[in-house]
Amino acid sequence: MPILIDEKTCLSGCTICDFFCPGDIIWRESREEPPEVKYPDECWYCGACEDHCPVDAVKVVFPPEMLDCQTPVETLMGLPARRPA
Amino acid sequence: MKSPAARLRPPSEKTQIIETDVLVVGGGVAGCLAVLGAAEAGARVTVCEKGGIIERSGSVAAGVDHFFSVLEEGPEWDTPEYLLRHVPRLTDGIADMGTTARLLHGLKPMVHYLEKLGVDFTDPETGRKYYRHRSFGMPGEYTINFDGRDFKHLIGRAARNTGALVLERVMVPEILVEDGRVRGAAAFHIRHGTFYFILARAVVMATGETNRMSRNASGLPFDSWHTPYNTGDGQAMSLRRGARLANMEFYDCTLCPKGYSTQGTNAFVGGGGHLINRQGERFMFRYHPDGERARRGDLVHGIVSEIMAGRGPIYCDCTHLPPEEIHRLKETLGVDRPAMPAFFEQKGIDIGKAPFEVTVSELSSRHGGTFFRSSGILIDPGTGTNVEGLFAAGDCSTMGAGISGAAVLGKVAGEEAARHALAARKPRALPEEEIAALRGAILSPLQNPGGYTHSRFEDEVRSVVTDYVGFYRDEPHMREGLRRLRALRAREGEMTARDHHGLMRVHEARSIRAVAEAMAASAIERRETRGGGAHARADYPARDDATGLKMIVVELQGEDLRVSSVPTGLTPEDTRSTVSLGEASAHAHTD
Repeated sequence: MPILIDEKTCLSGCTICDFFCPGDIIWRESREEPPEVKYPDECWYCGACEDHCPVDAVKVVFPPEMLDCQTPVETLMGLPARRPA
Repeated sequence: MKSPAARLRPPSEKTQIIETDVLVVGGGVAGCLAVLGAAEAGARVTVCEKGGIIERSGSVAAGVDHFFSVLEEGPEWDTPEYLLRHVPRLTDGIADMGTTARLLHGLKPMVHYLEKLGVDFTDPETGRKYYRHRSFGMPGEYTINFDGRDFKHLIGRAARNTGALVLERVMVPEILVEDGRVRGAAAFHIRHGTFYFILARAVVMATGETNRMSRNASGLPFDSWHTPYNTGDGQAMSLRRGARLANMEFYDCTLCPKGYSTQGTNAFVGGGGHLINRQGERFMFRYHPDGERARRGDLVHGIVSEIMAGRGPIYCDCTHLPPEEIHRLKETLGVDRPAMPAFFEQKGIDIGKAPFEVTVSELSSRHGGTFFRSSGILIDPGTGTNVEGLFAAGDCSTMGAGISGAAVLGKVAGEEAARHALAARKPRALPEEEIAALRGAILSPLQNPGGYTHSRFEDEVRSVVTDYVGFYRDEPHMREGLRRLRALRAREGEMTARDHHGLMRVHEARSIRAVAEAMAASAIERRETRGGGAHARADYPARDDATGLKMIVVELQGEDLRVSSVPTGLTPEDTRSTVSLGEASAHAHTD
């Protein structure tokens, strides 16, 4: 989960993370329910939610694909560059 | 299992019909300024923004710390005319000089206009107003430092205060054009599904650049260096209805910490950090006389070439910098991306203690590495297009120049669209069956059975772009890529969406494919290498001024793209350097 929300700290009725998320990832449709990270695969890892949370209840957590990335640059290049000379 | 359709609102929910003079698609900087320009010219305005509220949407929602402008304060370089003379060099000869002139002359008035909206151009470090420095390889100190954390809030609020109808979380997937003239657009709410038909006499496209186009290091498609929610929707829907796109062959790419495609890494090398290879050697001078101060695209090509030569991994080394500079870099780490300090912390990187590994990002379709030469909807100096009543501004148009370009030409687009709309005849209402057909087509992914998701479709587009169209290109591979991208078009109708948020993603995926196809078709026609790392042909590795000084234009003819070109009117002599380059400032901003 890219975004952890501490439900104990989260302010009831606040919808800042819902409104500030540029990707429509975090939803809080009901003030009674805690916010839901509804589309975690579509997170940009921008940190707008954590940055704007008034009570520091939000934390962005980077996944292993990003922290331990081993992808060689060749896989990002076109086939002409990867073709044997 | 419940069928997707069962979760929808009943189909009886009525389409909301809205009539307006000017419809603005996109509520970022260009869109908000278009709202202001059109409203001030007396038009009724509607703006649709698929993200959240317009006070906090678009590429600089979180804030911005620089604004590029000529101010005519006295120095020789500080006039539109002086800068204009350098544009051919800055753009490698690919620029529309008329539109550039309109932009440059609009900069100083725009600074004063923004100040009236409450923007304060005071440098937070020195307390000086209009404190400027040199960046982006420009021939003068045009970049104003300022604390723009509330920049978007101020212009969004001003746009709202015009009384414009603001439709938030509303995506426009199609415009309607009849007899070469804009009629309006269809739109839907990305959460609740309300469907809108907006009858408009003029439309301003302001949808930004295109991302999620090619493979990145983490393999997470939304981990992109620019906002992954900008997906070329305006470019694609305009193209589908007859508009021309240009400069589509160029791509943008950046250096970034390995595993995180993000802006902001240029700040380290701009602040004095060194790029070193496995042997600890500062290799950039092998590729560019300015070393680490070269343009972004040159850095990217240096890093890639070094790795391909077997001297990777590549690191950014800041350990030699004085403690106060390390402190400054750490303090400003989160300016471009608030989550960047968290990434460094969670990865255990301390820039003062050890070099950290860098790599390159995925490709985006944006500026082609420089201002004044964007990939997008071809506009004239008044931001008009070849489709009557259709205007475009900002990064979705051919004249991008960061938020400065978006602001100046966004306002022009609003004014011109209003002028056009107020002189145009009242559009006749669309027959109900036509609206119903349009609605059915746009919502159809909600009814599709099967598991062909937007992510599967997009993954196929990204792998074709990466392998066949990508970074180092040649004609046989691009022809194959074009063939595959066309074949994917036939599968667009199979994509399925579980909800209206997913429906937005399906339409975004269609846009990404269309932009990728335009990129492939255009890149085949540019048989040379040009642009400081924005178009690199393995089969034509040199720049060729005999054939290259032209803008490549694509438009739809039947089902396929027709490619043509327009000479820029610039000569090889125009593009030669006349001032010293590479005096990048210590504050090497990323835009």
